[in-house]
Amino acid sequence: MEPVYHDEPIQNVRREAVRLFVLRGVLAVVFFILIVRLWQLQFIEGERYRLQAAGNRLRIETIPAPRGVIYDREGHILVRNEATFDVLIVPGAVPEEAVDHVLTTVASLVDVPLTNEIALAQASATQPSNAPQPLDPECGEPGLKECFQVGATFAPYRPIIVKKDVDKDIAFQLKQEAPFLPGVFVESRARRHYLYGPLFSHLLGFVLPVNETFLAQASASDNYELNDEAGVSGVEASLERELRGKKGVRLVEKDVIGREVRVLDETPPEPGHNLFLTIDMDLQRYATEALRKGLEAVGSPRGAVVAIDPRDGQVLALVSLPSYDNNVFVGGISPSAYEQLLNDPRTPMLNMAVSAYGFPPGSIFKLVTAAAALQEGIITRETRLDAPGIIYLPNKYDPDNKELAQPFYDWLRSGHGRVNVIDALARSSDVFFYKVAGGFPGEIEGLGIEKLAQYAALFGLGQPTRIDLPGESAGLVPTPDWKRRTWGETWTTGDTYNMAIGQGFLTTTPLQMVNVTAAVANGGTLYRPQLVYQIQDADGNVVQGFTPDVIRKIPVDPEHLETVREGMLAVVQRSDGTARYAGLPTSVAIAGKTGTAEYCDPLPDLSDCKRNDEGNLVTHAWFVAFAPYENPEIALIVFVHGNGRDVLEGSKVAAPIAADILRYWFEVRPNRAAGAPFPVAAPAVEAGRAETTDEVVQTLLPPLQPENLSSTRPFKVQLVRTLPNQAELSVLRGTVRDVSGRPVANVRLVLTPEESDSPATYLMTDTNGTFYYDFLTPAISSVWRLSAPDLPGTPDLTLSIESSQQYVVEFTN
Amino acid sequence: MRRALNAFDYALFGLVLVIMTFGVLMIYSAQPAPEDGQMPFVTRQLIWIAIGLTGMLIASAIDYRLLGYFVRFFYVAIVVVLVVVLALGATSFGAQRWFSIMFFTIQPSELSKLVLILTLAHYLGNRPFDWQALLVSFILTAIPAGLIFLQPSLSVALSLFAIWAGMVFVAGLPWRYLVGAGVTAGAAIPFIWTQVLQEYQRRRVLIFLDPLADPLGEGYNLVQSRIAIGSGGLWGQGYMHGSQSQLGYLRVRHTDFIFTVVAEELGFVGAVLLIALFALLLWRLLGIAQRATDRYGRFIVVGVMFMIFFQVVVNIGVNVGLVPPTGVVLPLFSYGGSNLITMSIGLGLVQNVAMRYKRFTFE
Repeated sequence: MEPVYHDEPIQNVRREAVRLFVLRGVLAVVFFILIVRLWQLQFIEGERYRLQAAGNRLRIETIPAPRGVIYDREGHILVRNEATFDVLIVPGAVPEEAVDHVLTTVASLVDVPLTNEIALAQASATQPSNAPQPLDPECGEPGLKECFQVGATFAPYRPIIVKKDVDKDIAFQLKQEAPFLPGVFVESRARRHYLYGPLFSHLLGFVLPVNETFLAQASASDNYELNDEAGVSGVEASLERELRGKKGVRLVEKDVIGREVRVLDETPPEPGHNLFLTIDMDLQRYATEALRKGLEAVGSPRGAVVAIDPRDGQVLALVSLPSYDNNVFVGGISPSAYEQLLNDPRTPMLNMAVSAYGFPPGSIFKLVTAAAALQEGIITRETRLDAPGIIYLPNKYDPDNKELAQPFYDWLRSGHGRVNVIDALARSSDVFFYKVAGGFPGEIEGLGIEKLAQYAALFGLGQPTRIDLPGESAGLVPTPDWKRRTWGETWTTGDTYNMAIGQGFLTTTPLQMVNVTAAVANGGTLYRPQLVYQIQDADGNVVQGFTPDVIRKIPVDPEHLETVREGMLAVVQRSDGTARYAGLPTSVAIAGKTGTAEYCDPLPDLSDCKRNDEGNLVTHAWFVAFAPYENPEIALIVFVHGNGRDVLEGSKVAAPIAADILRYWFEVRPNRAAGAPFPVAAPAVEAGRAETTDEVVQTLLPPLQPENLSSTRPFKVQLVRTLPNQAELSVLRGTVRDVSGRPVANVRLVLTPEESDSPATYLMTDTNGTFYYDFLTPAISSVWRLSAPDLPGTPDLTLSIESSQQYVVEFTN
Repeated sequence: MRRALNAFDYALFGLVLVIMTFGVLMIYSAQPAPEDGQMPFVTRQLIWIAIGLTGMLIASAIDYRLLGYFVRFFYVAIVVVLVVVLALGATSFGAQRWFSIMFFTIQPSELSKLVLILTLAHYLGNRPFDWQALLVSFILTAIPAGLIFLQPSLSVALSLFAIWAGMVFVAGLPWRYLVGAGVTAGAAIPFIWTQVLQEYQRRRVLIFLDPLADPLGEGYNLVQSRIAIGSGGLWGQGYMHGSQSQLGYLRVRHTDFIFTVVAEELGFVGAVLLIALFALLLWRLLGIAQRATDRYGRFIVVGVMFMIFFQVVVNIGVNVGLVPPTGVVLPLFSYGGSNLITMSIGLGLVQNVAMRYKRFTFE
């Protein structure tokens, strides 16, 4: 009989009955899905997972290769690898009852906040409303305790990075405490240390951990892995291949905590090659200081000095100011800090000598104009031209109309009179070179833009020098074709005039111009400037020596270059030379050329360029020089960027800086100028590898003799107790006591797994005479032998071990 | 009372005993070494079971309709307890989820499941289902669930919503609401992914999808449990012989991953047997719900059924890698007291309903 539902409406009952019926279907479907998934795991993918269970313990690991170190030309070390220590905790390896002790000890030793509360208090103490940083980005909590909790819950066997780059002393202290800090690991890493920071930043550059973008671009054979370090700028980047070395590989068997049980196969890493730069550290240092003072004196924000050896293109010094400290990149830099550096209006990251887009060279370009005109026969050494303070270039279409003629001024409005090329170089006559390059009606035909541009290119302008630095700028050598395409205008004689004196569209880098000077000095050979003198492998064998790399022989007859050099000598030596009173040293014959290059520093409203009080355009100051005049050994360029307010004259601003540097080079350090043989100091200790933790521990803790060892009578050894251990792994611990029962410290013990080819483990007693080893497992060997080589005559103890036991051993005398 | 005893659902009771016994055997195999001076896990579990069965009998003895008079009191009490726990938790780190009651500790959040079941059953069972009932029942659920979420215990908060969802579904939630909820949830996923979830939470989900991407870190247990299940095969590696389980590769194996131990040691056969036991249990509950004489009783059974169903599906789902890892244990089976007692009392309430649904039959 139907039951009576007296307390509910019938439609409810019907509906609910339907729903319950539907639920049975849901139940069936859900459980069916679970079973199908189980079937998939156990039968379809089962084999794969079974294999994985067997391979679970085997891991292939890469061993990082020590990066090559870099020296200057005399073997002064500029960058080395230093050991740095990271403190890690593997939550799953910390026994529950030890958690408090471990975390408290670690927090106080490495100085990290123990809890979020403390972190919060610390953060707001330094700056209110300051949020504390997470300890490890993986866990997202600032307190060690909270971080540990997150790790223990979600990734028990992934190490938490408690702190990176801890002090050697702290690392060692943690190592000593290791038996009482289960689950705490100290890992050593090699880290770049740039000994002189900003002094070499533009040359050496820096390394950064590689990111996904880098990996995507690197070829597979390069074998980069995420967080490997790679050079990003400077020599670190351009010689990455040499410096990097080759990573090693090893096959290890690991336990669940990730500790090595044994190494099955190992290919050791090959350390990177060491570099010896052509740079002279002392010159670099002196030139930097000289330039810094010079910039300060005129309020210039930036500048550059490059010194090269004109005989082979070796770069002796390469200074760009302002600089930055490349040590801030070590270990990675935060994106915001990086951005701040990149966006700094003083552009500290931009190498002024090499990478800046290019600057108008001004009158120093007259070297090229002069050489070209002589070679092309436009002028001879003797040709004299009128060089007044101003000339009028007649209008092309109305040559007779003086109103339409365009005026071109000389820097000296009173003019230079009738001058030849040597006079013109000495006095830096602009009008002379206007006429030589662009011609002047009724007086001279002129070289023409095509020829001028061609010679500029022959001297290496408008193209990178291919120095060993990334991001080199090519500068610009303009041509009529270029102007038409870029500006949609026809090239004019006025453009040629401007270019003749290094103005107008022409831009160059200081490195290009010093290379021009070097080519003039050496009689016409354009060398590729090189930074690396020698490459050695880690054992000190020379892998690659120095060979000059000739870009080209410039097709200008030596006699013409001789004439240009004479002009440069006159710049310095003649009473009317522009650098006569720049204070250049007289102990050696120096040849030079000043340059005062107008540039456009636009006003904020872009209506005009900045001008000085007299209405002249602001300028950069340049000076190039080579010395000694006969057999030049050094070519030098000084570039002082305009300060946006004044006309900075090459003779007054740049030449004195060069004078300072050259005086140092030839008078303070004359042995260098004499072409002393290349003295490479043997880098004995600083070989290209970092110390390992163990080495540091070794130096801090040299092997000691057992202390308190009053008798030489053989010790007795016995297993006194066996206790259960809560972990799967077993523990061996014990004491060494002398005749009177006092503990003996520093006794080395050797623990050898009998049934395995694993290496033996060394234990040492502490000041309490105790030793401890927590990694005993029958998985490695069921029989272990404990011997005490420091206690002669003491028999070995053989232990048959099982899992989850504590073996307590005593050595007594 | 005799009549009630005659009506006692022995099949239900038997199923519960079988599942618990099976669980004890597997805990025995999987248990880690106890900490110093503590009883082995299996002994402790037997004590929990004894307490649980006692609770079950008591819960079945008191007429559930009598309990109806106290529902409001229970509800207010549990909310107050949850608030107190949360407030205490703010001052003393860590301990907020545990509340000491006499000689054992129990999580109030677990008890809140039972109180919610009774509250919702009483409310939904005494009025027709309409949008107002839907809203009120949602608020009744959201208050304790919110407090529990703040503890924080996401999984328990979710299980409260699962109970509510199951009950309003049976109560007659219109189909179009269901479809609407599904569509809304689907549309909200991109928003939740980008706006609500933290970076580490997103990573956890990604690692769940591809545990081999981080096999030593967050993917560890997922990879290890898959290896364990995969190495089980048809008949398993043998009781007490699962290499993954016994060598300690698998973490929390006696609680969250006990199903994996079954699958590894007893193979597909053992695992399907266990799933079948739960299926039978839930099937039985649905039968009881169908035959319940009043809607209040029916909703109690439905609530308990969903409480168990949610945990079974989520736990096994985690074990076989269909659900992202949560801290949900396998009811009646995994090691642990709070959940076992909650489940037992819940099933006691079901028994209570079952014993009384023949009240109006004619003898």
